[in-house]
Amino acid sequence: MQRALEPFRIAHANGDAYTIAALLSPVAPRDDPARLYDFHRASNEHQVEPEIRSALKYTNKAKKAELTKYDELAAWTDIFVKYWRAVGAILRAEEASNQGRLGDRHCIDVYDAWKELVNAFMKHLQDGAMPPWALIAMYFTANHLRKLAIKADEQISKTKGATTSNSVFQDDIVSSNVPRSEKLEDTARVYNRMFALCSGDRNPDLNSSRKWGTYYVANLQFKTYFKLKNVSLSKNIVRSVEAQSDLPPFQQFPASHRVTYNYYVGVLAFLQENYERAEKCLTQAWDLCLPDSTKNQELILTYLIPCRLITTHNIPTQALLSSYPRLKRIFGPLVACIKTGDLAGFDRALVDAEDEFVKRRIYLTLERGRDVAVRNLLRKVFLAAGFEELKEGQTEADRVRRSRIPLSHFAAALRMRTGGQANGQVIEDEEVECILANQIYKGFIKGYISREHSMVVLNKKGAFPGTGV
Amino acid sequence: MSFPSTVAWPPPPPSQPHPAYNAVPARTTLAKPTPVAAPPAPEKPRKVEWSEPVRNYVRRAFEPQNEIKGISTEEMQVKLKSIISYYAERQMHDQIDWSTYPLPQQLLLQERREATAGLANPVYTSVNVSSYPTNMPSPALTLPSSKRKSQDAEELETAAAKIPPWQKTNLQDRVTFGDGQQSKRQKKTDITKDIVSKFDQADLEKRKQRFNTGKSGTAVNPPWRQSRKDEDEVSMVPIVGTNMSLEKSYFRLTAPPKPETVRPQHVLEKTLDMLRKKWKSEKNYNYICNQFKSLRQDLTVQHIKNSFTVRVYETHARIALEKGDLGEYNQCQTQLKGLYAQGLGGHPGEFLAYRILYFVYTCNKTDMNDLLAELTIADKSKAEVKHALDVRSSLAVGNYHKFFRLYLDAPNMGAYLMDMFIERERLHALANISRGYISVPLRFVTDELGFENDKECEQFLQEHSAHHLVEEKRSDQTVQMRVRVKEGATLFEQLRAAAFSRVDIKGQI
Repeated sequence: MQRALEPFRIAHANGDAYTIAALLSPVAPRDDPARLYDFHRASNEHQVEPEIRSALKYTNKAKKAELTKYDELAAWTDIFVKYWRAVGAILRAEEASNQGRLGDRHCIDVYDAWKELVNAFMKHLQDGAMPPWALIAMYFTANHLRKLAIKADEQISKTKGATTSNSVFQDDIVSSNVPRSEKLEDTARVYNRMFALCSGDRNPDLNSSRKWGTYYVANLQFKTYFKLKNVSLSKNIVRSVEAQSDLPPFQQFPASHRVTYNYYVGVLAFLQENYERAEKCLTQAWDLCLPDSTKNQELILTYLIPCRLITTHNIPTQALLSSYPRLKRIFGPLVACIKTGDLAGFDRALVDAEDEFVKRRIYLTLERGRDVAVRNLLRKVFLAAGFEELKEGQTEADRVRRSRIPLSHFAAALRMRTGGQANGQVIEDEEVECILANQIYKGFIKGYISREHSMVVLNKKGAFPGTGV
Repeated sequence: MSFPSTVAWPPPPPSQPHPAYNAVPARTTLAKPTPVAAPPAPEKPRKVEWSEPVRNYVRRAFEPQNEIKGISTEEMQVKLKSIISYYAERQMHDQIDWSTYPLPQQLLLQERREATAGLANPVYTSVNVSSYPTNMPSPALTLPSSKRKSQDAEELETAAAKIPPWQKTNLQDRVTFGDGQQSKRQKKTDITKDIVSKFDQADLEKRKQRFNTGKSGTAVNPPWRQSRKDEDEVSMVPIVGTNMSLEKSYFRLTAPPKPETVRPQHVLEKTLDMLRKKWKSEKNYNYICNQFKSLRQDLTVQHIKNSFTVRVYETHARIALEKGDLGEYNQCQTQLKGLYAQGLGGHPGEFLAYRILYFVYTCNKTDMNDLLAELTIADKSKAEVKHALDVRSSLAVGNYHKFFRLYLDAPNMGAYLMDMFIERERLHALANISRGYISVPLRFVTDELGFENDKECEQFLQEHSAHHLVEEKRSDQTVQMRVRVKEGATLFEQLRAAAFSRVDIKGQI
């Protein structure tokens, strides 16, 4: 036990929370696969508490650090005893798994034991028995709790299947039978308390405040609620974070907390169709995101690209897309069709990747990108119409584009690019007008339609705002 | 011992025998109603005629002045039944002096005292009980017995009227074990049970009764009697209705339903036919809705889940839709979704289309996305679903021309749902047109916005105080009505925004 906790004593002397957090892991490190086993074998249920206590206790004269104070020693002892028990549950589950008889009970035991550990952290932090940096170790263990909960829920649903409760007092027969995620819901409750613990710290000294954990715990809550498909509860987190008037400035939080927080707030805004806010948050997340975190970048872009399509009518460059194979696969065809105004191709690309888009909740947003494709097509018609004849006294520099274009030209372009009758898409003349009116209404085109003359009269200065003509 | 009439139980105390003032002046209101009604027919099979002393004994047991506080009528009845049947099975009724035999409530009281006072000698107790003096002074004799008020007097009566089934079981047991021993054992267990939960006597008795009934009741009791007794468990067990009337008003259930108020499926089928006819002829929605709710409730409590259930919900949903009652419609729709998932037939395509249209109406992007995620290729190939999806996409890209074409061509009852948002979309289209044109013929607006005729279109404009934009233009011989849409651009935009914001709020609730 002395040997097993040697890293702790060093890390504690250094105030190195990350090492301690890594020590309190439910999985053994790659370079020491037997660590959990050895740690558990080093003691037994009867002696674990005194043994851990004596192993934790140290005085390090060189660093002028020690762990002898009764309260703190008791707190760490409690935590490591809880961890020792959790490891026991994990090893039992592993053993059962190896023998092919992993049951609900094993996974639930692991979850419950780990929850004890997280609860112990929260209790001792609340009591002020531990140094403030222990907060970091706490939220690492809390993150593990989430993963263990997901594992337990998977195991439960595997063995039990979705059970439905039905009460005779209901007027109707079918009760909503969503697959239950009992443990993850339980985790959400743990996080709620942890959030309160962090954000509600009244300690005036910011250096030792638990408020520094606010965004991290909020991110844990986001992850949990997204997994639980309960987006509305996520909104509550944003609300309560924003209601915290005395948080340290956002910029001072660790970048990793900020990226994740910005990402989730951005996605939430995106889902609520608040594209301006979504763009702002996602862009911030994008800017802060580490160059190596391609997975995170990909996630951010998944929402930022559709978002920009709506807000600024921008499409990503091929260069950007080609760094992310998955994004290139799903967005590539769509983007190409928008660029060329290929409406039939756009529709096809949308249908082809519909499942993926719907799963990511970007389908309905991307669908609106069709406007941009239409705009590009109509713009080609405008460009093709060429310039007005030069009048007397005008020079080349004064040449203006032809601004009165027959409706039939636009109709021909639209019919051509939607594949025509062969594609089952008949576009009536009124529909052409409708599409034009819609473009004008949405500000893609400046001008008006004259029914009497079957003409579209375009604005001489900037008929297609934002596109250079 | 032949049994002449419907009376299986000795004549209970004189009919309506104890006016409230007679028995216990001040507090009778709390007391159980004295059992009066004769037990009903099903008891016939038991051909037992009780002797006069036994009947007198029973009467005494039920007399209010003999009630003991803390012992409910129910518990007393159980005890009473066990006493009588115990001796009946041994043909010992003649040997017992019923006029001095302790009343069941007194026996219960005694048992409890034994249990609480000292548990030293349970065997002694059982001996003691059988020779218990009848005139033992009971301090609580005249106090009302029970504070429970929900029990149905009649129900208790029927329960008391039979020889309880568990006695039969006991008899069988005794054949194996021998008489005296068994009775002692019985008493012993009773006592220990009393010890276990001396604070909760009533519950214990109830539980015992329930347990016994459930165990061996089938032979004696028709099934509907059984289910009524184990009220606590009834929620898990579907009941079978016995009510034959076609109509029934809806009440929200706050207690387990009684079979006699619930109609079985063959009656409900007639009810549905009747309701459909009535709806066609009378169109009284309040009545119909109420009837349908009770119909649905009866289906639920009997756990009827089949094609008939689907038919009921579909019919109700369609009627609700016709009347624009979205609340009821939604309830039906939710249920239908679950029922279709179980493959019970019906018209899943039709209602899937309604769901899509409904989400279009509520502008609920999240739900719409979830719904799209669930759609299969088979779903999408159905005409009505395709129509609904076209409606959705036409609005999503702002193609109002296509949208109003689809509106005029809606299958099934889709048009009723589209009516919910047609005004809003008309304003949206008008806002579009007012930006795209300067002035258009009225007929153009009529056609594009799916109005029946110019008059309807004009009225629409008038209702939105845009009538001043309509003008008559004469050229040569023809007179053309035109709308100066551009002038109304700001107005239409405001109207549009207002129309959509209303739904936004509604969607949030």
